[in-house]
Amino acid sequence: MIDKENNWNQKRLKTGVHFMLGNYAAVEGALAAGCDYFAGYPITPANEISERMSQRLPEVGGVFVQGEDELFSIYSVASAALAGAKAMTATASAGFNYMQEGIGYASAVEAPCVILNVQRCRGENFATHADVMQMRWGASGDYETICLAPSSAQELFDYTLLGFNLAEKYRNPVIIMSETTIALMRERVLVPSYDEIEIVNRAYTDLQPDAYLPFKAEENAPPPMAPLGKGYHTLYTLNYHNEDGSIEWDPKGYDKLYKRITGKIWENRKDICRTEGYLLDDAETVIITYGSEVRPAMDAVRMAREDGQKIGLLKLVTVWPVPEEDIREVAKGVKKVYALEMNIGKYAREIERVCSRYCTVERITKNQGIIHTKDEIYQAIKG
Amino acid sequence: MKPISIRFSGFGGQGIILVSVILGTAVVTKKDLYAVQTQSYGSEARGGQCQAELIISSERIDSPTTHQKDILVSLFQSALDRYIDTLKPEGTLIVDPKLVNSYPRDTYTVYEVPATETAIRIGNRIAANMVLLGFLQPMLQIVSEEEMQQVIKEQVKEKFVDVNLKAFQEGLAIAKDLNPAWRN
Repeated sequence: MIDKENNWNQKRLKTGVHFMLGNYAAVEGALAAGCDYFAGYPITPANEISERMSQRLPEVGGVFVQGEDELFSIYSVASAALAGAKAMTATASAGFNYMQEGIGYASAVEAPCVILNVQRCRGENFATHADVMQMRWGASGDYETICLAPSSAQELFDYTLLGFNLAEKYRNPVIIMSETTIALMRERVLVPSYDEIEIVNRAYTDLQPDAYLPFKAEENAPPPMAPLGKGYHTLYTLNYHNEDGSIEWDPKGYDKLYKRITGKIWENRKDICRTEGYLLDDAETVIITYGSEVRPAMDAVRMAREDGQKIGLLKLVTVWPVPEEDIREVAKGVKKVYALEMNIGKYAREIERVCSRYCTVERITKNQGIIHTKDEIYQAIKG
Repeated sequence: MKPISIRFSGFGGQGIILVSVILGTAVVTKKDLYAVQTQSYGSEARGGQCQAELIISSERIDSPTTHQKDILVSLFQSALDRYIDTLKPEGTLIVDPKLVNSYPRDTYTVYEVPATETAIRIGNRIAANMVLLGFLQPMLQIVSEEEMQQVIKEQVKEKFVDVNLKAFQEGLAIAKDLNPAWRN
């Protein structure tokens, strides 16, 4: 476990302003968070993440492994996390499919880890939000995902760092929802100084091995972990597990376990969820969007404002869990919400579910492998 | 400053991506401006069409690409044919005359920059991109010549630093020769 007080290596942080590729920015954000294990299998447009991790992790005493496939990558990341590492993998849509089983496992055993998915159009390196539902619903069984949606190279740095902190706090996999647009874009990235970075580390038990129950936890909270190699014995299994880690079936125990595993995320969503509002105060209509679509949407809102249209924007930093309270608050005060995304219209269902009691919802979608232009959005909102 | 958008286009191996990265790095790290670079290229290691777009602004850049560019640099005929319609009518067109035979003059300001020929003359054809960077230097005047040279040194492999710096100087000289207003 890397923490700032102990074995922190100054090479982790390239403090200053850079003109940096989005994929590299995600790597730098991971290193700033204390990432010390990465496994991945090659796939475009995520390869620059593996490439840079293979150079940077050895510099800071971390471990880089090129896996033989995505299954190895996700399971080794979950295992490394349970062994005490801050671990991450990265892939793109087709590889993310393969990882679902491992994500289900990591959720069930409460392994704090980060998975970055650079969404691409099937077999092509074009931009899309087609996997937005898979981020949440890809694996079988009961679980909740924390999924963050960066819209720039800077946010790939910031949200990957935040993702590690949330993973540690809630002992849950966190998914960084990247996309070709920002992964392969170079931009200004400010890497903060050592003192400006906040690092969260998982809680460890203060009980002795004979008194420690590995899955005994407070309501809606993760259990404290046990350090590896100190005499604690834990069975980390996908199967139903009791508080002591044994796998004898107990229907009430099963119910309780998954209430806690889902509740630790859902019931803490006010702490987890983040949104950013823009020109909302007097808005009569609002665009709700996420990822790179935020960028042309900001321009389109400015263009419409110049025409006198009272329009604002709500950017979803957290896509999962759904920031329902923030979305509802916006819906209550406006006539119409636009659900803007780069796919056939998927997350729009969530926005409709939350908003339709209060206002109308209109979808603006584009599924052509490229983000909307500001003019396309401007035309759609002009009314 | 008014935002500027530049598209560099040619084929793989001409250093199209690198020139956009060096210019972007210079304006972001030396002048605290904003820049966004996007690119596309074929899967071939060399050959295949290749383009990079760079937007430079003093404000945060939201839309990462622009519909119409201020400057189009073309190092190959097919690249010019493909992208000429993305140049603003009042935009600036920069071509390598050895590799681009025909182009519409229309309302554009056109500069013929013998980048490849110059690079071959000074010892390495791969430095053609730095001739172009040198040519753009007095036109853009965003960072100083010294700052740009510093970024070139940081960004290119050590054994190619000298030829790249030489190419940059050659590009500067061509610019000053073609446009007297850039001589100071």
